[in-house]
Amino acid sequence: MTMQTLVDGLVLGGLFSLSAVGFSLLFGVLGVVNLSHGAFVLIGGYAAYTLHEKLGLDPLLALPVIMLGMFCLGYAFQRSVIQWATKRASLLASMLLTYGFALMIRNALVLIYSPDFKSVTPAYAFDSLSFGEVTVGLTRVAALLVSIVLLAALAATLRYSSIGRTIRATAQQEQAAALCGVNIRHVFALTSGLSAAFAGAAGVAIGLVMPFSPPDETLWTVNAFVVVTLGGIGSPAGALVGGLILGVVNTMTAQLIGAAFPNAMMFLLLVLMLVVRPAGLLGNSFKGSR
Amino acid sequence: MKLFVSGRSAWVSIAITLAGALLFALLPAFLSPYGVRVGQLFVLAAGLAVAWTVLGGFSGYWSFGNAAFVGTGAFVAALIELALPGWSPAGAFTVALLAAMLLNGLLALVIAWPILRLRGIYFAIAMLGVSQVCYELVSNIDALRGALGVNLIDIVPKDVRPERFYYWALLLAATAIILIAICVRHSKLGYGLLAIREDEDTARMLGVPTAPYKISAFVISAMLTAMMGVIYAHNLGYITANSVFRNEFNLNVIVYSLLGGMGTIIGPIVGAGVMTYVTQVLLGDLLDIHMFITGLLLAILVLAAPNGLYGIYDTYRLRLKRQKREAGR
Amino acid sequence: MKLDRRTVLKSMGAAVALPAIGRGAQAQATETIVIGGSVPLSGRAAETGLNVNNGYLAAQKFFNEQLNGVEIDGKRYKIDVRLFDDASDPARASTLIQRHLDDGVQFFLGSFGSNIVLPTAAIVERAGKPMMQTGGASDQIYTQGYKNIFCMFPRASRQLYNTIEYFKVLQPAPKSIMFAMANDAFSKTLAEGAIAFGKEKGLPINDIVTLPENITDASSLVNQIRSKKPDVLLATTHDQNSLLIARQLISSNVDVPLLYLSLGPQLKSFRDALGGYSEGLYFQQFWDERSPYKDAFFGSAQKFADYYRQHFKRDIAYHTASGAACIVAYVHAMKAANSLDPAKVRDKLATLDVESLYGRIKFTPEGDGDPVHLGSTVGQVLKGTAEVVFPEASRTAAPVFPAPKWAEKRRG
Repeated sequence: MTMQTLVDGLVLGGLFSLSAVGFSLLFGVLGVVNLSHGAFVLIGGYAAYTLHEKLGLDPLLALPVIMLGMFCLGYAFQRSVIQWATKRASLLASMLLTYGFALMIRNALVLIYSPDFKSVTPAYAFDSLSFGEVTVGLTRVAALLVSIVLLAALAATLRYSSIGRTIRATAQQEQAAALCGVNIRHVFALTSGLSAAFAGAAGVAIGLVMPFSPPDETLWTVNAFVVVTLGGIGSPAGALVGGLILGVVNTMTAQLIGAAFPNAMMFLLLVLMLVVRPAGLLGNSFKGSR
Repeated sequence: MKLFVSGRSAWVSIAITLAGALLFALLPAFLSPYGVRVGQLFVLAAGLAVAWTVLGGFSGYWSFGNAAFVGTGAFVAALIELALPGWSPAGAFTVALLAAMLLNGLLALVIAWPILRLRGIYFAIAMLGVSQVCYELVSNIDALRGALGVNLIDIVPKDVRPERFYYWALLLAATAIILIAICVRHSKLGYGLLAIREDEDTARMLGVPTAPYKISAFVISAMLTAMMGVIYAHNLGYITANSVFRNEFNLNVIVYSLLGGMGTIIGPIVGAGVMTYVTQVLLGDLLDIHMFITGLLLAILVLAAPNGLYGIYDTYRLRLKRQKREAGR
Repeated sequence: MKLDRRTVLKSMGAAVALPAIGRGAQAQATETIVIGGSVPLSGRAAETGLNVNNGYLAAQKFFNEQLNGVEIDGKRYKIDVRLFDDASDPARASTLIQRHLDDGVQFFLGSFGSNIVLPTAAIVERAGKPMMQTGGASDQIYTQGYKNIFCMFPRASRQLYNTIEYFKVLQPAPKSIMFAMANDAFSKTLAEGAIAFGKEKGLPINDIVTLPENITDASSLVNQIRSKKPDVLLATTHDQNSLLIARQLISSNVDVPLLYLSLGPQLKSFRDALGGYSEGLYFQQFWDERSPYKDAFFGSAQKFADYYRQHFKRDIAYHTASGAACIVAYVHAMKAANSLDPAKVRDKLATLDVESLYGRIKFTPEGDGDPVHLGSTVGQVLKGTAEVVFPEASRTAAPVFPAPKWAEKRRG
């Protein structure tokens, strides 16, 4: 039974990780807290829903298309709106700006898709995998795999590619990077694009596993907050660790204390973590924490 | 203790506040009940925003979780009233209000020590977390009745219309909050907080006791917010956790300050007035896109007027001065 | 377009000016009965809010277009339903209800969720105007001594009486029953009422699980079911959470002989999402368009459903029917009172006993729906359709118990 709970927690944690990594990247590199992150996640979910309903496209096949679309959206979002806000106002004010966008996106989703919940259910949505005593739904396993593969790819990109190096350099020392010939605006927009692409991917994975509706955007933004604070800002590894811990804490609390308490425990952990180690478990001091 | 406030401008502000409050107190005579209810929303918003400003505006520590104090205040009061069944409404309310304020002050004191060591966005996130924890606990612990909801006692005197009574009650509380904020602003504490906002490390080096100052402002802010929460809850008459732990309380107080002018006292009041009018009156009839327009307004506000209306006024004043100087030359 | 500050300010001005114009145009209607109120069209409750909203609007359209209004005391009136979005914010709802009162609105329709309905009901009650609503069933509303607030549903704690009666006659008798309730005022009182009544009837209610209001993961519930193997699981959860629970039970291959999800399977979108797996699921059924109810205006439940489908795209739900029934109840009461005086209409509402598209409308002295006539029946999904299986008097199909196992459905 404990094994089952642990596995359930890890699978859930995979979703949390993927849904938070984009938020973490934007926070770490630009210092921008994106309160419309959850709304971006939902856009991914709704895109997967539309492609599945209208074209019969499997969500996992739609994933690259959605990520590409979301990348462009995120790039444009940074170059137009966020850049303007951070230049003219403060980083904290940009938080309010993104809150405004979250409201708009949520309202737009209600108008386009109605407030009803939607779910993406390909034929394999009801199948499961069993390992001895432990049974896990197939879509959940798929979601976990997607998370791990994408997070690994992102980590590799940041670590080994030249784009990744410039992003990391910019995060550490914006001015020095600019002096070395890095086009800061472009790097910021790239980061924002990556962040949105991963939010979209998370939306697809979430859509595969559970029904969703427009008000859920708050939930995914808040979850991203908690994951990032736990794991540490700006790194895929931090998001992975934070997400997995959160997932396990979630299912364990539900099992041991009561099904109503995972959220309370989650936020308690967030506050405790901030007090004990504000940089997160794997955190280094990126822009947001200075 | 030394003079609580010093300087002529403080007394001017106090006089203006009292005169303004008196003027507002007379308004219900000229307003429809609906107008009075919109007035309630405005006074509530202004009170909450100024209470937030005591910490957020003066010291630059933006709390994204003041709903914690609204909600905890409301539920402490409601549960205490439940525990005092035989009491007269006025008596029970007084005890409940005082207890709610005291308990929130205590809560703030307890969390202040660890949380106020965090800076900037980390403090903001931590407060968001605190408000979520309070919400989750109140709604999930059966004894606190957050899910089932709880009735508050009726404290409206027989021959007073309830919307007027609560308008005046909220106005009284908001006035008290503004006066306290003015006192804080012009006291040694206030100057210390401003110094912290400009540069906390330098302030500490120059001998400002930063930690006690921040904690004091936090506790004051929490108690004042709780006071508003208690009256708001009585106005509703029945609350569940969802009625008082609202995200709007967390974020709108900041919006008001941003709109009006961050760090000032008049700023959040003006901001609250404008936002209440726009969202409740102008957008009240819009069935399905009022949320979209609110979001759009927020975005435009941050982009077009990052220093708020006060900032526009300030630029305008400076320009006028410069023009005068140039004309005189 | 270049987005400089001037254009931004200009468009902001346009957005601000627009609604003011809209209001001016609305005021010129003559000889109308204005019915005011709020519905939540944004936020968590928007889904049901929209169903209720469409029910109100369908009835308005029907009365005005098909019957050319209603005749009361020799005069013809059009019905003018004026609704606003309260966004599930109690303060916003109270303020806008007050605006309707100031505008001279005499009759009200209710919002959804007890924390919205109660504060607005208090204002309407004080003003002595009636409120017909179909979204606030929590017990707290009916223990305040209000005289003017009427609900199409019985209070939450009485809604599952038929369900408990059904569990009582199950063959073979269930040996253990598990309850899972979402942590909100409605779901909680619903479950607690049923638990109290069930224990009184001697049912073996062994486990009670409280779930958060919104869940992202139901695995702890699934695990408890896996280890405790109840014969019956009754979950009082809202649609989205119900679907998540069902999906996780299916993909974990955990069977319950009687899986009862209070809200969810009544929706076509829910049954579509589960496909063949929805077969045999139980739910709380308040209304079925095939019910043999006669209606003085629409003709019958079926005719109401047909009319609705002709004019509205959104799927019909029982909240749509109960919303329309609110207007029907008003018209009956106004005709009986032969007057538009709110106090007289209120008195006729209180004594109303009439068959309608939604069933026999009759209220308790406290104002909630009569638990026998307006209570819920037991529904079951059979061959993809939502059927009524209990009580026998209103059944449209025979119940299937135990329901087929997931594995059997998987094979098709």
